[in-house]
Amino acid sequence: MMILVIGGSGSGKSDYAEELACSLAGEEHSTKYYLATMRIFDEEGRRKVERHRARRSGKGFLTMEQPVRIGDALSQMETGKKVVLVECISNLTANEMFAGPRIRTKEEVAESILKDMERLREKAAHMVVVSNQLCEDGMVYEKATMDYIDAVGKINRALAARADRVVEMVAGIPVLVKQEGGRG
Amino acid sequence: MKLVIGGYGQGKLQYVLRKYQLEETAVWDGVLPEEKEIQTKGVVVNHFHQWVRQSLLQGKSPEDMARAFVERHGDCIIICDEIGNGIVPVEAFEREYRERTGRILIQLAKEAEEVERVICGIGQKIK
Repeated sequence: MMILVIGGSGSGKSDYAEELACSLAGEEHSTKYYLATMRIFDEEGRRKVERHRARRSGKGFLTMEQPVRIGDALSQMETGKKVVLVECISNLTANEMFAGPRIRTKEEVAESILKDMERLREKAAHMVVVSNQLCEDGMVYEKATMDYIDAVGKINRALAARADRVVEMVAGIPVLVKQEGGRG
Repeated sequence: MKLVIGGYGQGKLQYVLRKYQLEETAVWDGVLPEEKEIQTKGVVVNHFHQWVRQSLLQGKSPEDMARAFVERHGDCIIICDEIGNGIVPVEAFEREYRERTGRILIQLAKEAEEVERVICGIGQKIK
């Protein structure tokens, strides 16, 4: 099963995604992997990562730092059933797009991330993917940022099409956007 | 307490006034009114996010103040813009404002007897 969790900043999407991953893994005694995509540049980033780590501690996640090429995480995973939590698509997209020696095109980035996500999905018993809605602040940014918003939008659409369930977090409340095969 | 969330220009205030048959005089814009200021039946706080922003700018703790307000006015309606669905702002204060507004909304939503999201003037009950 693949579940996509979208939401804005401070919407509670990380907490919810972690709970989901735990309940999916709990039923089947799988290994839980947390694929972290955030690159730390400053104190604020460090605090954010610390907050997320503290919340995850005790939940039994194996954390893997994978700021780019998320599919490569597979080579370090054990065989057996796994539940994979990816946090999050918008960071991953920013890294893939801007962190290299040149800015990559939105098409290139969307294609490679979707390919990676598909590799993960094939190997994981369950996958929970966290992403952001970046497209609702009504602002017009310079081209690189608009391309970035496009890329995240394209990836979100493709993942949502693949997902068995799509949930949008609003003020900590999960709002069901899509559920394959009747009620979940 | 009831919480109403939605994007800019979605008709949240109109929706609330019509649904609960309230007058404009019950509406407080971007402020949490003092007890003695309230002379109407029902209290509506509109543009709650702007109040959060002002409180942060003044170095106050909007979390504590919002909690206290809601405790005093259990029948109030709080209307807030969704401000988290955009590009991460360049300025640290803007990021803090976004994040803390989101966290306060989670807290309010937990305590609320009802949470609605308004899209295109249509209310969606999500709690």
